[in-house]
Amino acid sequence: MSDVVESPSAPRSGVIGDSPARKEDDRLLRGEGRFADDVTPANALHMAVVRSPFPRARIEAIDISAALEMDGVHDVLVGTDVAARSEPINVLRPTPGAPYVTYYALAQGRVEYEGQPVASVAATSRHIAEDAAELIEVDYDPVEHVPDVIAAMEPDAPVLHPDVLDSNLLVSNPQSVGDSASAIAAADTVVSGRFFVNRVSGLPMETRGIVAEWRPGGRELSVRLSTQTPHLVRSQLAHCLRLDESWIHVVAADVGGAFGLKLGVYPEDLLACLHAMALRRPVKWIEDRLEFFRATTHAREAVHDFRIAADREGRIAAMEDVYATDLGAYYGSFGSAQLSSVTYSGPYRLDHGTVERRVTMTSKTPVGAYRGYGQPEVNFAREVLLDRLARRLEMSPVELRRRNMLTPEELPWRNTTGAVYDSGDYAECLLAAVDRIGYDELRRTGHGPRADGRYVGVGLSSFVERTGYASSRFLAGRGSKFGAHESVTVRANRSGGIDLYTGVSTFGQGSETAFAQVLSHVLGIAYDRVHVHAGDTSATPLNTGAFASRTMIAAAGALEKAAADLRAKTLKVGAWLLEVDDPDELEIAGTVVRVASDPARSVALRDVHEEAILGLRLPEGIEPGLEATAYHEPTHAAFAYGTAAALVSVDAETGDFDVERFVMVHDSGTPVNPQLIDGQIRGGLAQGLGAALREELRYDPETGQLLNGTMLDYFVPTACDMPPIELVHTEVASPVTPFGVRGVGETGTIPAGAAIANGICDALSGLGVEISRLPLTPELVWREIQRARGVPA
Amino acid sequence: MSDEVPITVTVNGTVHRASVDARTHAADFLRHTLHMTGTHVGCEQGVCGMCTVLLDGDAVKSCLLLAPQLDGHEIETVESLADGDGLNALQEAFRDAHALQCGFCTPGFLMTTTALARDGRRRSREEIREELSGVLCRCTGYENIVTAVERHLSEARGV
Repeated sequence: MSDVVESPSAPRSGVIGDSPARKEDDRLLRGEGRFADDVTPANALHMAVVRSPFPRARIEAIDISAALEMDGVHDVLVGTDVAARSEPINVLRPTPGAPYVTYYALAQGRVEYEGQPVASVAATSRHIAEDAAELIEVDYDPVEHVPDVIAAMEPDAPVLHPDVLDSNLLVSNPQSVGDSASAIAAADTVVSGRFFVNRVSGLPMETRGIVAEWRPGGRELSVRLSTQTPHLVRSQLAHCLRLDESWIHVVAADVGGAFGLKLGVYPEDLLACLHAMALRRPVKWIEDRLEFFRATTHAREAVHDFRIAADREGRIAAMEDVYATDLGAYYGSFGSAQLSSVTYSGPYRLDHGTVERRVTMTSKTPVGAYRGYGQPEVNFAREVLLDRLARRLEMSPVELRRRNMLTPEELPWRNTTGAVYDSGDYAECLLAAVDRIGYDELRRTGHGPRADGRYVGVGLSSFVERTGYASSRFLAGRGSKFGAHESVTVRANRSGGIDLYTGVSTFGQGSETAFAQVLSHVLGIAYDRVHVHAGDTSATPLNTGAFASRTMIAAAGALEKAAADLRAKTLKVGAWLLEVDDPDELEIAGTVVRVASDPARSVALRDVHEEAILGLRLPEGIEPGLEATAYHEPTHAAFAYGTAAALVSVDAETGDFDVERFVMVHDSGTPVNPQLIDGQIRGGLAQGLGAALREELRYDPETGQLLNGTMLDYFVPTACDMPPIELVHTEVASPVTPFGVRGVGETGTIPAGAAIANGICDALSGLGVEISRLPLTPELVWREIQRARGVPA
Repeated sequence: MSDEVPITVTVNGTVHRASVDARTHAADFLRHTLHMTGTHVGCEQGVCGMCTVLLDGDAVKSCLLLAPQLDGHEIETVESLADGDGLNALQEAFRDAHALQCGFCTPGFLMTTTALARDGRRRSREEIREELSGVLCRCTGYENIVTAVERHLSEARGV
């Protein structure tokens, strides 16, 4: 590679604000990514898992004899083996105050959800392992199950974990500021509703997978895993497998989508490791899609009882949200979503507020984190209810929102849960959305019917989104087993480049690219001379991982510090080579160190690096080596925000509807990479729209079995199913983060359900149709039309 | 249990002779016997389209074929696309439009589009969406994929 000396006036590419070619793309476009199933060690065995067909049953007996006799079968594990050799999965993100309701990798005498692992087989091929799994006979005695959070709290409901709990309520977390009861009693108008949010799957295109290899002599359990959190998994494996952490090496190379589902250890991870440790051979398990639907954490299912009180001018006097979130049968690594509470009051001014999270156990697959982590759920309830309030007050939903939105001057604002909204112009986003969708024009032309017979309406949905964590101390107060920090190591190499090491694994978010941009920005080195090494616990500094829209908020600070350290030493060595007294007179520009005022006086970075690394000629006072490791501890979370607007047309006879336009106005603070931000927003919207319109994991209430365990009947949006989306960005730099960034990974998932529901209700406002549940299907709309017309559906 | 079938199949121009277990599906054969892991498997039910390859020039889902059905046929996979050190025009179009994020579905879209480009037909954006609907993506929201494909098909037709 030739040394190109850039002219000082030319804007550098690949810095903050640019959208350079992604670091990740070349290998992925060639099919050269390294996903979990892409590597099979010689001598590997393959694992298959026997799962419960019942939602709740006692296990009377397990007969593994036929499986063990099969040619090619090397090992079978049942619950007693697992209890003897491992610990239950440890919780990384507990719900405050919750008792311990976690689980071993295999069922211990009872199963609590359909799909729970009961036994596992390691064999010479996947075919043989699966054949052997079918030969394992399990004698189940089914007992009464609990299908949902409403049934779970019936007085006569069976208590699912009577050894730990008195009821199926795991924990209740109420938070209150002011006196919402009095404010509601005194208010002119009160609206309330019960809102049902559907159980969905984040559904990454790559299922989970693991390859575990145990070399006791080498003191190494090597694990290749499809995970968002290699360092956290390492600590969990050490705990669960009773190993010293230094023996465990986790590698997450390329990860084929994660979305919160690949946080922490799952039962099958422990099983593969236990087989590998028993057999001293590599063991591989790649989840199939049916297993995925039954065994990888589900998300979102909740029932919100929301109430808003206001005066005649629409000023909100109080809000209350008491919600039951369905945890499923056990508490996994992350448990159910927690951010409904934090953001229940949205971007609105509120002095009297109460929110209560009721984490409820049911007989279904455990629920875990999924992009948005409670924020889409509560946004649906609040924003739909706000439109009802607007109709009750005969006020424009735009004006109702605008009147209650916090102004830039009121920020920072501590909401009633203690979260601090850092900065922003919420009304700017609202008004931009209203303008872009043509709200006033539609108000003039009316709801129709149009020439095509359809009614039209516009729905709005405004939101704030907590991105990142306020601090490690904040997390500690909630019992978290991870910190808020991120870390990075940057190391110069003798080719003149920088190796950047991060524990943040690569699952589509573009962090390799964005990290290189930040480093290039601060250090001055060319973007294409930065090489990112991600997701290997043996090579990277301890970190937390990519979730909670926190990566850039935390990592940018670490990158900034590490780059500053590296820059200082690079310039010091450069000054010696260039015979310049003051390193401050120098700069790094692309591939050289040069005198800022005299760019012709330069030395190649390659030469600077070589001198610094070898240290053969360094003068007194300069130690050999050119690398830096830095940690950054955030001091605040940053709140992203925005408003979505949907233009919806509805057939009032059939309930069929179309989202004809969808406008998304959002603020993610300073954009590190606009192209990546657009990609994150669009991708989040696709998942938000999928969950709003199509996706639902449905269980038979009688049998407790999952009805749609394939992609044929779980309807992920295709390229044909996406409505036209228009993105509008505003840009208010956050004052509390490095470079003013806000998180962006989860934003898109939040507003879709409410915007479309409000659009449908607006279109059918002449009928008085109200919507209170997701997903929004034509059938649901038709039923609500029938109800509004007083026709028994 | 093991029922081995001899097959001869041309993959990306190279002739392979192999003996395969009759129940091995074609995607697993490509991935685990020939070690061409660019073809991904997402559902094994013919829905997600990750495993799309070209069979005698037609885009097919290789999880719905058994390896013995490849006998005597020509297969093209994502590994055939790049031109040595360089990406081909379609791959560049995907990169430039940010048409991939995690990259797991990308080979499916690239091979589907490779087949589309060869017939040279003009397609509207809506028709492109229809053609791509057999491959699922969970990261991008599709817009940039449709844009990349539209640009590539235009350029392939020389317009």
